[in-house]
Amino acid sequence: MTVLAPPAADATRRSLFGEIPIQYGLAGLTVMLVAAPLAPIILQAFSDKPLYDNGAFTFANFSRLTGFPGFWQMALNTLLFGLIATFVAQVIGTAAAILIGRTDLPLRRLLGEVFLWPLYVSSLILAFAWATIYGPSGYVTQVAMLATGGMPWDLYTLWGMSLVAGVSLAPVSFIYGQAAAASTDPTFEEAARIAGAGRVSTLVNVTLPLMKPSLFFSSILIFTSSLEMLSIPLVFGTPSGVKVFSTFLYERIGNAAIPDYGVAATAALVLVVVIVGLIALQSRVLGATRKYVTIGGKSVRPRPFPLGPFRWPVFTVVVAYVLLAVCLPLGILVLRGFVTFLHPMAPLADVLTLDNFRVLAEFPSYARSIWNSLFIAGVGGLIATAFITLVAIVVHRSEFRFRRPLLYVALMPRAIPGLIAGIGFFYAVAMIPGLAPLRSTVWILMIAFTMAAIPLGYGAIAPMLLKIGPELDQAARVQGASWWRSITRVVLPLLKPAIVACFALLFINFFKEYSTAVFLYAPGSEVIGTTLLQFWTQGHLGYVAALSTVQVAIIAFCIALARSVFGVKIYG
Amino acid sequence: MAELVIDHLVKRFGAFTALKDFSLHVRDGEFVSFLGPSGCGKSTTLAAIAGLDRPSEGSIRIGARTFYDGTKGIFLPPEARGCGLVFQSYALWPHMTVAKNLSFPLKLRRVPKAEQGRRIAQALDLVEMGPYADRFPHELSGGQQQRVALARTLVYNPEILLLDEPLSNLDAKLRDRARIWLAELRDKLRMTTIYVTHDQVEALSLSDRIVVMNKGEIAQIGTPQEIYENPTDAFVADFIGTTNFLTGVAAGSGGRMHLQFPDGQTLGLPAGARAVPGQPATLALRPNQLLTGDGPGTALKARVTGQAYVGGRWQVSLDIGGNPVRLEVEDRLEGDTLTIRVPDGAGAVFRASADTLAPVTAGAA
Repeated sequence: MTVLAPPAADATRRSLFGEIPIQYGLAGLTVMLVAAPLAPIILQAFSDKPLYDNGAFTFANFSRLTGFPGFWQMALNTLLFGLIATFVAQVIGTAAAILIGRTDLPLRRLLGEVFLWPLYVSSLILAFAWATIYGPSGYVTQVAMLATGGMPWDLYTLWGMSLVAGVSLAPVSFIYGQAAAASTDPTFEEAARIAGAGRVSTLVNVTLPLMKPSLFFSSILIFTSSLEMLSIPLVFGTPSGVKVFSTFLYERIGNAAIPDYGVAATAALVLVVVIVGLIALQSRVLGATRKYVTIGGKSVRPRPFPLGPFRWPVFTVVVAYVLLAVCLPLGILVLRGFVTFLHPMAPLADVLTLDNFRVLAEFPSYARSIWNSLFIAGVGGLIATAFITLVAIVVHRSEFRFRRPLLYVALMPRAIPGLIAGIGFFYAVAMIPGLAPLRSTVWILMIAFTMAAIPLGYGAIAPMLLKIGPELDQAARVQGASWWRSITRVVLPLLKPAIVACFALLFINFFKEYSTAVFLYAPGSEVIGTTLLQFWTQGHLGYVAALSTVQVAIIAFCIALARSVFGVKIYG
Repeated sequence: MAELVIDHLVKRFGAFTALKDFSLHVRDGEFVSFLGPSGCGKSTTLAAIAGLDRPSEGSIRIGARTFYDGTKGIFLPPEARGCGLVFQSYALWPHMTVAKNLSFPLKLRRVPKAEQGRRIAQALDLVEMGPYADRFPHELSGGQQQRVALARTLVYNPEILLLDEPLSNLDAKLRDRARIWLAELRDKLRMTTIYVTHDQVEALSLSDRIVVMNKGEIAQIGTPQEIYENPTDAFVADFIGTTNFLTGVAAGSGGRMHLQFPDGQTLGLPAGARAVPGQPATLALRPNQLLTGDGPGTALKARVTGQAYVGGRWQVSLDIGGNPVRLEVEDRLEGDTLTIRVPDGAGAVFRASADTLAPVTAGAA
């Protein structure tokens, strides 16, 4: 032990993998990614001509937006849509969280799984599924009409689309509610029972009040999600002329003969500002929450709360909901893919066909949309995972001077709905000369999807990164490893499960993403979502059903794979 | 020559100064402990030496190499310092076996494969962990992990060994054994070592010198004996060893001062005590300076305020002239008074009142 070892090689070597190039490079890339869509929108909102025309500065776009025929009706619709959807989602989601998470409901594990399905499937497919059976000419509607002789319900209204949006967002409420219910100390409830409170009294006076902070938090999240939602307002609102912000934007830019860029950018900016405000409110609520949330880091398995005589009646209601809201719509949508025509009066055997799938396979642009989606999900998912992992590491595991600002920038896409990110990148590609070659390629989609997914991926990486003790990489540094080597040899290997989970999450997210793509795709760079929208607009319900079936099947396969091979749970 | 010289080191976190003007010269092969309560700045100093934390002012050098110099703007990253640091949590990499943990620093130094194997075996033998080379850290007990962490640091022969409360995660029995073992290792290696601890027994038994720290400042530097026997202030007296404090009013003059208690009793102060007549003064006494039974010295009357059985012995709470005092005695006391004998010239005198000190930990330990 007398021979002194030579000094560590890393201490003297300067390379491309030094901390300075990596950290500044990543920060620069993040800023560019986030600024690329935002900057053109802001510029355009204050410009009197399309950006490529070198317009003058103006505030006129705001008055033109508010003076737009139907603007205030549209704003009111958006507010009502968000409020009703949030209410519906919270009632269903919280009830399910308590029943499935805390009681002795039969089959609660299985029911909990099925309840989450709407999260895995895109809201676009859920919208099609509901329209296929509960729409005016939907299968169940037809059955009900035959039975009652009149139109039993109309989902193509503000109330109808809010209800469907609520159902599609209920799993979000469910996940947050379950987390809150699981972290609540069950002795609070037991104490109430022992003090003489009945089941219902305990629920009302103890369980629900304890969940209040979490309910508040998820309400804002769900409200924000409903503001961003394009699919359901498009499918259910457009036929009857009920417009909200997202469908307004979609029509102003996508379908208008002469797109009014100034007004569209202003509308987009207004939406972003509203969401920024909501997120600020949310973080204040979260700050206040810490004061009285009861998390003690204990892993108490709460004793299930016995439902007693209500056990089977409640079970029946939950099963009926899951069947009617999730299983039946998706099942019939899949069935619709295999028939020429679906009507209660038409015998199934006469209408069975594989033609819908044949068309998908034969038309190059249809088949291409599937391959493009897979390519973006696979390759884009990998690139985005690597990028987001490194950003999280620089934020939490480096002495980088701007690591706090980097985190703020990286989380900013939370305030940028997919649709608006799409508009922004669309402008950026048109404006910035060097980006022109990216136009109409899958790469610009990949870039836009990555930008939009940074907060999601960060959420998958950061919790585990924070659990890895900083002394593990400090030990490597003291022993002579450079920053980059301490990351690659110590942090990354330990982070592997989170990285795999992040990739699985981003893969599914990219695969089902459509709203970011609607303004960015072009012939050659179609994805499943845009082709679905195209089929729907053209009224090819069979193709819609077939392509949806393909997407659902691939997602189901990937989730099963991720679970069995990597043991990754995607949500919850 | 791995002597460590720290000069006027300052570390500020915003408006808070965690370390105030810290200067220390550690000789080659010297074992120095940083001792103090949590938040005293000892870990901050250690992190500054290792390069994990950038100080605000001052300088740190080892031999001829400058690690940090605030005025010249020099700051070596941790990997360029060649220190060995054993973390409180050991920081063994959970995804590597014991042997892989040890080979990592050698690979970084481009040590040839065969030489690596030899060094790893040597280091593991040194900490008596030879048979565990292929285990993963989670397959080892706390004490074993602590030894591997030490081996991982020794395997590359660092210029200076930094130990951050290495025994604090062990249970009491194991900690005693590990401390004795560490003392043997210290004698074998004779490396320049900085040992951070809040445990006075570890510091007293292992160190050549102790740096007692309080609120970001050095309270006293000295050998264990100097610090125990001649604490320079009431904080050091209180923190090191078991101490009882007697506060009264100083009286008399010149070499013959004494302490006057409110109940009229008096106690002679040691010669040369720094006390001002008419002002309050505090005398710090070790347990062996508060005796029962007959013998030379000053007798003081104490009121018994409580007794508790602590296993084999009785812990007695006393009141001497308004000062709470705790003592351990062999047998349960009968009656509510006790005569206490203080040998002549015993104790250390401070001007500060004992009330301004941290809660008195004396007596029970």
